[in-house]
Amino acid sequence: MEALSNLMYGFSIALDPINLMYVFIGVFAGTIIGMLPGLGPMSALALMIPITFNLNPATGLILMAGVYYGAIFGGSTSSILLNAPGVAGTVATSFDGYPMAQKGMAGKALAIAAYASFVGGTISIIGLMFIAPLLSKVAVSFGPPEYFALMVLGLTAVVSLSDKSLVKGLIAAVVGMMISIVGMDLQTGTERYTFGSIEMLDGINFLVVALGIFALAEVFYMLLRGSKKVQKRNEIGSLKLSMGEVKEMAAPVARSSVLGFFTGVLPGAGATIGSFLGYSMEKRLAKDGDTFGKGNIKGVAAPESANNAACGGSFVPLLTLGVPGSGTTAVLLGALLVMGVTPGPMMIEQRPDVFWGVIASMYVGNIFLLILNLPLIPYIARILDAPRALLLSLILIFCMVGVYGLNFSSFDLVLLLVFGLIGLVMKLYGFPAAPMILGLILGALMEESMRRALQISGGDWSIFIDKPISLVLLIIAALSLGLPVVKKMIQKART
Amino acid sequence: MKVNLRTPLKSLALMGAALTLTAGMVTQSLASDWTPSRAVEFIAPANPGGGWDTLVRTAANVIRTENLADVNFAAINIPGGGGAVAWAQIARDSRNDHKLFATSPPIILVPLAGTSRFNHTDFTPVARLITDYSIVLVRNDSPHQSINDLFAAIAENPRLSVGGGSAAGSMDHISIAGAAAAAGINAASVNYIAFSGGGEAMTSLLGGHVEAVITGAGEATAQLQGGELRALGVSSPERIPGMDVPTYKEQGLDYTFDIWRGVMAPKDISEEALRYYEDLFARMMETDGWREATERLGWLDAYQNSEEFGAFLDAQLEQFRAVLGDLGLLRN
Repeated sequence: MEALSNLMYGFSIALDPINLMYVFIGVFAGTIIGMLPGLGPMSALALMIPITFNLNPATGLILMAGVYYGAIFGGSTSSILLNAPGVAGTVATSFDGYPMAQKGMAGKALAIAAYASFVGGTISIIGLMFIAPLLSKVAVSFGPPEYFALMVLGLTAVVSLSDKSLVKGLIAAVVGMMISIVGMDLQTGTERYTFGSIEMLDGINFLVVALGIFALAEVFYMLLRGSKKVQKRNEIGSLKLSMGEVKEMAAPVARSSVLGFFTGVLPGAGATIGSFLGYSMEKRLAKDGDTFGKGNIKGVAAPESANNAACGGSFVPLLTLGVPGSGTTAVLLGALLVMGVTPGPMMIEQRPDVFWGVIASMYVGNIFLLILNLPLIPYIARILDAPRALLLSLILIFCMVGVYGLNFSSFDLVLLLVFGLIGLVMKLYGFPAAPMILGLILGALMEESMRRALQISGGDWSIFIDKPISLVLLIIAALSLGLPVVKKMIQKART
Repeated sequence: MKVNLRTPLKSLALMGAALTLTAGMVTQSLASDWTPSRAVEFIAPANPGGGWDTLVRTAANVIRTENLADVNFAAINIPGGGGAVAWAQIARDSRNDHKLFATSPPIILVPLAGTSRFNHTDFTPVARLITDYSIVLVRNDSPHQSINDLFAAIAENPRLSVGGGSAAGSMDHISIAGAAAAAGINAASVNYIAFSGGGEAMTSLLGGHVEAVITGAGEATAQLQGGELRALGVSSPERIPGMDVPTYKEQGLDYTFDIWRGVMAPKDISEEALRYYEDLFARMMETDGWREATERLGWLDAYQNSEEFGAFLDAQLEQFRAVLGDLGLLRN
């Protein structure tokens, strides 16, 4: 019951008219920032730091947190409508969201994304409220061997993400992993695949690849197809969900929210990995798993609930350990320090107003987001009615502005073009894009964790099976690879 | 001999100064009256959220709220290459009196590691502002009670892992390797585990995955209050006020390491502009706004003017070159 009285205290702060106004400003700004491809919450938050200087710390964090989860909430819009992920965490949403939009179900896809985001966000707040201090123990129990095992488990999803040809899926995944290790190696300080260019020293930004492979490649593909097919007017379709659909999605949303939340708790994992894990878990569990990637409603619901839950989860290490798990939470940490609040083990006791105020404001913010987004869907989805020439140039401009905004580097624009062409070739020859993105997200972290673990153990590989968490994760990975094969063999033996 | 040569020169310079004074106040006042004619670009050569970024935004904010300048100091992030991307851009912009950037040991370390063509000699040192120090942390249940215990244990068991928040050959690594060398063990025998941020290194220590962690003392304050971690030593010359942690020196280790931060400008900016900025930052550090900010952020004032800062950087270069050489990471 203590949590409830704390929450009441939090609401007394969050429902203060000033704070209420800032929650609204935060989530509204966040939604818009999220919708624009490339422009992410990190740069938006950095721009806000001077504003928060003069605010009460609780108000400042309420505003900034609102921008953060608002962006993840809004990021699905451009993934679904334009195949251009609005923020990194919503890449997986485009796998089924974009096909749905093409089938004339854009409205439904957007509505599902909004509901799933709301549920994911709310579940993560409940988690934050009741078990945040406990969860910090979970976060610290993950060291290099555990991260390695988690990444291996994540990579087994390549099998389910490669739709037709497993070989092509594996090739794409390996290319993704190769791209992920471009840059300076942390363990030795050596440059890898940079060709002496300082622009590549920090590696290739994930969003540059994602926007190139998905959005730009789609633009090129449409141009190549030319005017042979007269595109029929895109229907937005109904926003309403049937009871059957709600029932169908209930379990996936619940599972993905919990999974996403725990992924977010781990510093170094976060919304992008969470949404991929959610998506591939649901694809495997679903009876109609083969329709994932072709516009399955669960393929939208799972990643959307997972990424929003992960966003809430990422506040656990930030607030209870003072450890930022991502670039965005690093900016939040910096802003809190400037405002004179030191997140860490003592924060709940020292600054309960900030801690409980922010958590309570997230409830409010999520409700705002839902009532802000749902009525807007028909208007936003109308972008699909735009003439094709206009739509394609719009996507092009969004992508270029977004990519340039990441680092203000024209070199990234060249990279965007290169990845657009790679994406086009992949599309033409039937290489799936999802495994490549998966390899890109997990590859570097897997390699780094493995080498860190081996450096700690002095080169002894048994470190991966001596640690219980790592062992369990590796066994699950082996099972998820082996079981389908065994199943097939049994079926064969029976016939 | 050098001294003998210098003294007459100095008095000559003094005489010159006296002459200008008497010759007319016009030139004098012109020299000190330079002010920026447009907004000053204040660059953090990194993404938002890090040390450089915090310095730039805090300084720009204090300058604005304390009305120290008529123009705006605009914080700009140019991330990439651990600073190298921004340095390459700024180096092309020599003689620009309206550009400044935040700097710290990487301006020396990154070029030494061979990943930047430009080092501190390609820019004008304006002022050193603040410093932080390295601190070595262990878990409360660790058997090591002092920094010497830790180094003795490392000498015995080179597998003992020390985590840090930056790449091999960068600040945290240099700091602990230099300390090890001062303790009489091979700098390269420290099993340094590079994490992608001080926070990740800290969680790894809390979870018992590494034996010790080296990080900035400012970053460690919250963790030490939490009571699960304990500090073995800090690299400052004297104890940091408000932090009950013995220095390396107290423990018989003749070694200090500064994580200094300062401001630089492009090469060949006008002498008047340099004097203006030097003076501006000196005045900024006298304000209440700055004092409040440093207190919150755990920074320690360590002002040096342009000349002192330049000499300090040259000395740092030699120190880092030696440690990187020991580690086999010297590439330039």
